[in-house]
Amino acid sequence: MLEGLLTAWAAVSLTFFSLRLAAGDPVASLLSQGLATPEQAESLRHSLGLDAPLLLQYFRYLGRLIQGNLGVSLYTQRPVSEVILEQLPNTAQLAMQGLLLAILLGLILGLASAWLRNAAGRLASNLAGLSTSLPVAFLGILILWGCRNLYLWGQTTAISPNLLAPLVLGIASAGPIARVIHSGLEDSIQSPYFLAARARGIRRGPRLLWHALRPALPAAVSLLALEAAFLFSGTVVTETVFSRPGLGRLLVSAILQGDFPVAEGLVILAALLYTASHVLSDLIAMILDPRLRRAG
Amino acid sequence: MRHRNLVALPSTLILAALLLAACRPAPLPEKRLVYGLTLSPSGIDPHLNASAELGIPLTSVYDTLVVQDAGTGQFLPGLAERWEISPDGRRYTFFLREDVHFHDGTLFDAEAVRANIEYTLDPENHSQKAAGMLGPLVDVRVDGPYQVSLLLSEPFAPLLDSLSQVYLGMASPQALEEWGPAQYQFHQVGTGPYRFIEYVPNDHITLRRFEEYAWAPPIYENDQAAIEEITFVFFEDPSTRPLALETHQADILGEVAPRDAARLASTDAFNLHQVDIPGQPQQFFFNVNREPTNDLRVRQALTQAVDREKIVGTVFGGYAPVARGPLSAAHFGGMLPRAELEHRPDLAAQLLDEAGWRVDPADGLRKRDGQAMRLQLVAPTWGANPDVAQLIKADWESLGAEVEIQVMPGFGPLKEAQASGAYHAIGLNFFGTDADLLRSFFHSEGFFNWSGYADSSLDRMLVDASQTTLDPQARAELYTQAMDLIMDQALILPVRDYSNLVVSDSRVQGLRFTLQGWFPLLIDLDLSS
Amino acid sequence: MRRAWRLQLSLLWLILVVTLAILAPFVAGEDPYRPAAAPLLSIQQHPPLGTDHLGRDLWARLAFGARWSLMASALATLVTLITGTALALLSTAGGRILDHFILGASNAALAIPGLLFAMLLVAAMGPSYLTIILAVGFGAVPGFIRLSRVLFSQILEQHFVEAARALGAGPIRIAIVHLLPNAAGQLLSLATTHFAWAFMGATTLSFLGFSGDPSIPEWGAMLDAGRGYLAEAPRLSILPGLLISLTILAVHRWGEHLANRTTQG
Repeated sequence: MLEGLLTAWAAVSLTFFSLRLAAGDPVASLLSQGLATPEQAESLRHSLGLDAPLLLQYFRYLGRLIQGNLGVSLYTQRPVSEVILEQLPNTAQLAMQGLLLAILLGLILGLASAWLRNAAGRLASNLAGLSTSLPVAFLGILILWGCRNLYLWGQTTAISPNLLAPLVLGIASAGPIARVIHSGLEDSIQSPYFLAARARGIRRGPRLLWHALRPALPAAVSLLALEAAFLFSGTVVTETVFSRPGLGRLLVSAILQGDFPVAEGLVILAALLYTASHVLSDLIAMILDPRLRRAG
Repeated sequence: MRHRNLVALPSTLILAALLLAACRPAPLPEKRLVYGLTLSPSGIDPHLNASAELGIPLTSVYDTLVVQDAGTGQFLPGLAERWEISPDGRRYTFFLREDVHFHDGTLFDAEAVRANIEYTLDPENHSQKAAGMLGPLVDVRVDGPYQVSLLLSEPFAPLLDSLSQVYLGMASPQALEEWGPAQYQFHQVGTGPYRFIEYVPNDHITLRRFEEYAWAPPIYENDQAAIEEITFVFFEDPSTRPLALETHQADILGEVAPRDAARLASTDAFNLHQVDIPGQPQQFFFNVNREPTNDLRVRQALTQAVDREKIVGTVFGGYAPVARGPLSAAHFGGMLPRAELEHRPDLAAQLLDEAGWRVDPADGLRKRDGQAMRLQLVAPTWGANPDVAQLIKADWESLGAEVEIQVMPGFGPLKEAQASGAYHAIGLNFFGTDADLLRSFFHSEGFFNWSGYADSSLDRMLVDASQTTLDPQARAELYTQAMDLIMDQALILPVRDYSNLVVSDSRVQGLRFTLQGWFPLLIDLDLSS
Repeated sequence: MRRAWRLQLSLLWLILVVTLAILAPFVAGEDPYRPAAAPLLSIQQHPPLGTDHLGRDLWARLAFGARWSLMASALATLVTLITGTALALLSTAGGRILDHFILGASNAALAIPGLLFAMLLVAAMGPSYLTIILAVGFGAVPGFIRLSRVLFSQILEQHFVEAARALGAGPIRIAIVHLLPNAAGQLLSLATTHFAWAFMGATTLSFLGFSGDPSIPEWGAMLDAGRGYLAEAPRLSILPGLLISLTILAVHRWGEHLANRTTQG
């Protein structure tokens, strides 16, 4: 847990310094937009604390961050936290649905590729490999095109437009989950524990599957933390392809428009969430696997 | 046994609920409409923000002192029943209607006019457009409860035009006071036929009919709105627009790409409205203070090298006319310079040779004193500017120049690029119905003088045209002279006049726009069943 | 043996793509920047692949696109390889304090998902083709440091290094003479896997609009530009998307193969 906090703090600092050092004076952009006279720029600079030494700015920034103050958007002059909170529900919904679909698909593909010894199994493993190699953008466009044609030919909304984005996200993120389940299953099938289960007479079927699956789960759960990272990047692209409002689109436009406070706030949010998901998945893994509990 | 009980209870409950629902009297169907917006502005307070997009919903939330007839161009009574202009052109006295009240119940009167103008002109509020539209206004005097005078330091011909637009619409002083400039945009209160309900940035704006509206100006055909609720949803990505119409996520959408517009219009399900937008054409300003565009011959060559007919055909599918000058032909045709811009790549090459830029046979690039001609073309993302820029780049590269395009995704970055001087040509244009629009772009001290050209005779023409006379004829002559000079000096590369391609569902009736072209008169909309 | 044909196919594909990139000016036939004919012409109307929305030959743009996309990813991978290896070497051979500092910094950076870290760098440097290369390159460095550091540590444990130290070899000598050559094989396989990520990252960043000049025929940018024309000319997006996907697949295959080979060796 402590390690998580340390990592989060380090990530925040990294973001802060790299943006400040590489980007330059944010007030200058207001000046050149004609939104402030030179005198106003000076006083704004002072009130934002930009004329203080970098280290002092850093500590002030940390202080404000702890209180939840992320600064003010250069583009709309509204507090960054307000702007982020507005779009958060959209992205959270997309990410949740995508994650659920990814877990579902990953489980199915992973199970099929390890358990089934026939062509279906091989197909499943190929699909899993495909999912990691296909760029999310292309996948999204393909599905968009496919469904649009289906819609226009069939005059039906078989798949609601709102489900397309999570579907794409889920498909793209399923690969790593499938892979981990696959290798975990293979390992546990070789293990003496599994052999013992079969010796006890448990026939090939759901119960045996559960016996094989259980040891593989902790590894899969800790992968979910990494999935969170993948999901963040995935939502950025998916929201762009399907033109859905959300944090991903917000980040892209913030970067293009040079709205550093918003870009900074979003990256820090992502880092904090990512660290939190790491901690969470470690905890869950410990609960699921008694072996880890003893070691930890 | 157990299974049956589990199913019985829930199904009875569901049946009961359905029965209850069926027995309730069905509510009368409300008329609702979804209007698509294409740009998410940084703010939507018309007094403070400059975006044209905000005017689409807000023109119907506010009334203005005067209105302009789209056909004749004449100014007609709005919130002001009549007005007087002093002989020296420096005092406008408005006699206001006495039967108007705001959506929040407060009365509209002369004090309200003063409060609005003070709010707009307050330097702390940083009004991006409305303040400039008031020109040399120095004072507002309340002469009586329904009589107000605007005092100017000099005559200002565009004043009535300004006062007829949503940017100077009349807001409730109580609401302005209560919410302040940062929050007011989320709680707007006007006197117009629609009430402002809510604004969720990047998501939607909701308006509902104002039932007590009883003072419709003569440009409205209806006295009361037919549609009860209108929701404005953002579709910033051009590729989502035709799909939004096809899936009925939007009933009306503007800025539809030419190909999609043609395709949709060819079906019975949709209607196409091509609306001319008066103002400046899509254009690029040459930087006259940077090599090599500081040389007039180079600017002329670069202008004549571009095949604008082809650009208009390729990018706009023929839906936009080639621009003829610094202002659009539809509204300002009478005062445009008569000389035509021609596509003459041969003359262009000759001009460059004369200017000392010769083609190096080794690599085909134009060079002078060993230096290659490198051009920076800066384009905004809207209005298909990036596509136009790519075609301009191709034409300039045929001449032998090396061209780098930079696309700026917002006005902020665009202005920053301009301030840094790192451009040879930069794209920007504004819309408007008064030729005074040219002043901020071509006056030596104009805020948008992005060509950097300074000429006192041009300055005088532009100032005289709006500040010495109110006679349209005299003004037109001055503007023609000014535009002749602008084109002679090749300060701009004009590409095409704007027209907005608006596609509406065939159920939509009565779609009409103000003279400015962008703004629909929502009160006249109706839905056939 | 069953897998061999897939591996060979991947190799073939990669060779094809690289050849296309090198020979683009000769194979393209038209200038990828200048309109050759009317826009959106079909394959029949303007062989071999029709024209794009501005009338430019699609085949020429795809051919030159191989250059731009491959170059961006290759340069980015080079940046990652050089920076990452140097920092990892410093970390392993340079003493405890340096090790903790570098490891700590790269762990911190790893808390930010790779693509987002790259986007952060784009935010700082402004959108352009060069920025994408640097952003993708530096964005992969933290992960690369972690993986290669493990590699170097393992080699450090081995006896001949102990012997070298006993003979008085300093850290730099150890790094250059012992660590690098012994790790070269695995570093290369690491670089190959990273190349796939770099390719995906570079094309994704261009897709999002960070490449600056829209006339550059980079595959990711073309994927984005074609989105508005899915109705009448889906090939504008689908072809570059297909090329990107096949290339990533092929590099992945080869990366896995190399990784398997070197871990067994």
